[in-house]
Amino acid sequence: MIPGKYRSVSGRAANNVEFKLNKETPSFSGRLLQHDLERNYSSRQGDGRVISPSPRNKSSCISSTTNVTELCGLEMKTTMSSLSAFGDSSIQTPSKSRIRQGCHSAGPNVSGDHIHLASSSMPSFPILQRSSEEKILYSDRLTLERQKLTVCPIIDGEEHLRLLNFQHNFITRIQNISNLQRLIFLDLYDNQIEEISGLSTLRSLRVLLLGKNRIKRISNLENLKSLDVLDLHGNQITKIENVSHLCDLRVLNLARNLLSHVDNLNGLDSLTELNLRHNQITFVRDVDNLPCLQRLFLSFNNISTFESVCCLADSSSLSDITFDGNPIAQESWYKHTILQNMMQLRQLDMKRVTEEERRIASVVAKKEEEKKRESHKQSLLKEKKRLTINNVARKWDLQQNRIPNIAPNQDRKVSDSPQDPSQLHGSTVSAFPEETGSLDSGLSNTLQGLSVTDTHLVEVDGDTLSLYGSGALESLDRNWSVQTAGMVTTVSFTFIEFDEIVQVLPKLKIKFPNSLHLKFKETNLVMLQQFNALAQLRRVDQLTIDPQGNPVVNFTLWKYYVLFRLSHFSMQKINGTEVTQNDMIMAERLFGILAHVASSELPQYRLISILGDVRKKQFRYLLETKGKKPGLVNEENSDSKRLVGENTNRATLNYTTRDFYNERLEEIKEKKKFCKMYMEDLVKEATEINMKNEALQKLWPQMFIELVRDAVIEIRNKNSYMKLCLQQITDQK
Amino acid sequence: MLSPERLALPDYEYLAQRHVLTYMEDAVCQLLENKEDISQYGVARFFTEYFNSVCQGTHILFREFSFIQATPHNRASFLRAFWKCFRTVGKNGDLLTMREYHCLLQLLCPDFPLELTQKAARIVLMDDAMDCLMSFSDFLFAFQIQFYYSEFLESVAAIYQDLLAGKNPNTVIVPTSSSGQHRQRPPLGEASLLEGVEASLFSQCLENLCDRHKYSCPPPALVKEVLSNVQRLTFYGFLVALSKHHGINQALGALPDKGDLMHDPAMDEELERLVVRSRLHWTSRQHRAEKPGAFGFQRRDKLEAPESMPSASAPSPYPCRWEPRE
Repeated sequence: MIPGKYRSVSGRAANNVEFKLNKETPSFSGRLLQHDLERNYSSRQGDGRVISPSPRNKSSCISSTTNVTELCGLEMKTTMSSLSAFGDSSIQTPSKSRIRQGCHSAGPNVSGDHIHLASSSMPSFPILQRSSEEKILYSDRLTLERQKLTVCPIIDGEEHLRLLNFQHNFITRIQNISNLQRLIFLDLYDNQIEEISGLSTLRSLRVLLLGKNRIKRISNLENLKSLDVLDLHGNQITKIENVSHLCDLRVLNLARNLLSHVDNLNGLDSLTELNLRHNQITFVRDVDNLPCLQRLFLSFNNISTFESVCCLADSSSLSDITFDGNPIAQESWYKHTILQNMMQLRQLDMKRVTEEERRIASVVAKKEEEKKRESHKQSLLKEKKRLTINNVARKWDLQQNRIPNIAPNQDRKVSDSPQDPSQLHGSTVSAFPEETGSLDSGLSNTLQGLSVTDTHLVEVDGDTLSLYGSGALESLDRNWSVQTAGMVTTVSFTFIEFDEIVQVLPKLKIKFPNSLHLKFKETNLVMLQQFNALAQLRRVDQLTIDPQGNPVVNFTLWKYYVLFRLSHFSMQKINGTEVTQNDMIMAERLFGILAHVASSELPQYRLISILGDVRKKQFRYLLETKGKKPGLVNEENSDSKRLVGENTNRATLNYTTRDFYNERLEEIKEKKKFCKMYMEDLVKEATEINMKNEALQKLWPQMFIELVRDAVIEIRNKNSYMKLCLQQITDQK
Repeated sequence: MLSPERLALPDYEYLAQRHVLTYMEDAVCQLLENKEDISQYGVARFFTEYFNSVCQGTHILFREFSFIQATPHNRASFLRAFWKCFRTVGKNGDLLTMREYHCLLQLLCPDFPLELTQKAARIVLMDDAMDCLMSFSDFLFAFQIQFYYSEFLESVAAIYQDLLAGKNPNTVIVPTSSSGQHRQRPPLGEASLLEGVEASLFSQCLENLCDRHKYSCPPPALVKEVLSNVQRLTFYGFLVALSKHHGINQALGALPDKGDLMHDPAMDEELERLVVRSRLHWTSRQHRAEKPGAFGFQRRDKLEAPESMPSASAPSPYPCRWEPRE
């Protein structure tokens, strides 16, 4: 009963075949391989190309029949088999086939119209038998298309089969075909196979079609060394693996899988066509290891940069490629970048590449390349700059920790130290928009990063000279071009001890006479008196003291002190804030007396020693007028003095760097020592003299009396005294 | 001409004690420093000027710290100069931090040590919250005590610690060198029982100290007065009381009374003049810059200027009235 039913099924199938046989042969044989649109070569989608070795040369209206023929022909050529029937231009389907259920224990496994293979421990399979005339007629092929098979039937006595077709069944596992060792063509399209297996004995298999199944991994192909075509489209494969031994494989179809990337392609030495459409590929590798690859289909993936497929450029054989449906294809640079990098390409996205396109691409690409190189250079410089600044910052931090007495309780945030140079630049630009605008950009480019070393950084960017690290100060000794020096109006110091900056200020004044804006960041400005040092400059319009690393900014009085001390510059901005008249007056109110005291109350000898040689002229001028009332002097001469330079009454407020000051203290100490000794001697001498003098004073009255008494006694006897005198006179003669 | 004390001591010691030697040494040192310049206008002139400036107290301006603290006269002069120069800061009402005051001190004496400023701030802030803001007068008076009597306070601190520890104060050896160890606060357990030391005992010890002390110390009678008002007191309590005592301020003689602290008409006049000048300067700068819109300002300034012109520099109401003391 059951076999009968089954027979009827197969009978239906036979009818089918017969019906098809009535139709024209080409269309039928086309159907044999034309699994669906995916595989239809003539369709727009190219996934079916798995069996179209040279589509370029054929017009698309020639249906897959031809392709099959070609395939078979090729096969014949290569294997030199005597399969004459196979080589026919039309492939005929075995018209009748009968499958009989295995007689024993088949009953319970059959349900409905289908042959059902239960998962019992005792599997039973249908046994296929063909009539002998069919066998003779189609001795080398067998088609079991749309037979609702759930398992592979046992095929007995058909060892010479070359072609086996199981299309459109429900087979979950490849079984029972290991005896068909001469099999060349195995089609399992549209089944439910979950794993590639049971093929290890089919050593001569050349075409394996496993499209539209449920395969998750590429595996168990180890013995199929002569495989020519492998179709795995429409499965669930996530990566390419276990194919490196397939050195004869010409066509590999992995369309509509779950691949996220392409690699592991080594060893596929004959591969000419690789179909990877409709995956989720983001990058492609190893393609340059495929010496014969001509066609690569990457449409509808997730490729967004050329870098992720750059290995394609190294493939010399590739002539046809598709990228449509990828993010990359939306980019403006897409076409010319691809064409420029893949000169060997003849077709891109199904369109022929013309010479004109190629030419334009090369021009555009060349420009792009140049731009890229330039920007690369820029970014390299920027990176180098960033690293250097980081390095300088690290050194600075170390230094700060090592010498805590210079900047006590200074908590620097290390995380803040790497700064954004572009930001720095940006702020400068906004400060001097018109000057920056007029600059020759090429010049500024060449000037950028004049010297980059590990411990310090010097940068001229437009009108800004930026110095990072104390070593950068040495750059002021260099011969700067007049143009550069004239252009620099902003000088920025970062990670440099202010005391060190003070020492180069005279140089700065000479080398960059136009510098109007000074910026200090991380320079250890801790005292108000340090600002005194800036007074020696020629001109300062703006001053920017970054609170970072400059604790002095936390003081409420610092701005006023700056305005007061540097009042001769008529400063316009401090830390970006406009200076107002009220600010100036406030500064004067706060510190005016200090200046007055410093100038009018300081003894002259101190004035001299403080002012030094440079300001002696001014000092003499002050000396000459000092006799008059000081108020009058200042009133009369304030204007002329201002023209000369800074107010003399402020000149006494100056700053000596710590080291220098300590040196001076040492010097003073030495002198003091000497003076002490000298004074000691002097005073001792003086006191001794004084003592002797006093002693003499004490003795003198008594001595005088004694002397007088002696004299009186001597002349008491007048005669004898006269005689004595006469005697003395005659003795002299 | 000859004071009776002079006869009690050999000349050299007398001169040294009166710091005459210090000034003579310094004068020679200064002479040495500016040999060329001074020889141009005469050594005699230099010495005259030098000793005049010593008398006026202007000799300490911008000098090194070692010199500024060398004699009581120098210290008083420095205090006065500080007051004179930065009175305006106090008048403006700015409250400043210890560090900022230190910066102001450094404007007058570049190597002024932070430690002293810190100690003065401790008196104001009662040994805590060192970052707090202080008023000018509070700081100034505390600083006066700390700076002028710095060695004395060291000894007092040592005595105080010994009293806290319960030692017999009579065996105390007065330290002469400054050392930080006295800064240590007493252990909490002791302090929580009874804070500070007994005033009478402390007073007795200080009297002892004043007798022996070779550096300047506040008048013992005034110290006694400070201590007689209370039963117990802490070290900082004592210092605050000292710094706020009018008598001690007067005895020291460097600063005016607290009420008159902001009062210095001569300097105020001078300042007005300077401000006017700076205004004129500003307007001339504005003219030069030709900035429109500032004219309203300028006109008012010009009208204002002649009004506040000073007549002449009046004599200072605080003439030099201190003498070198020991």
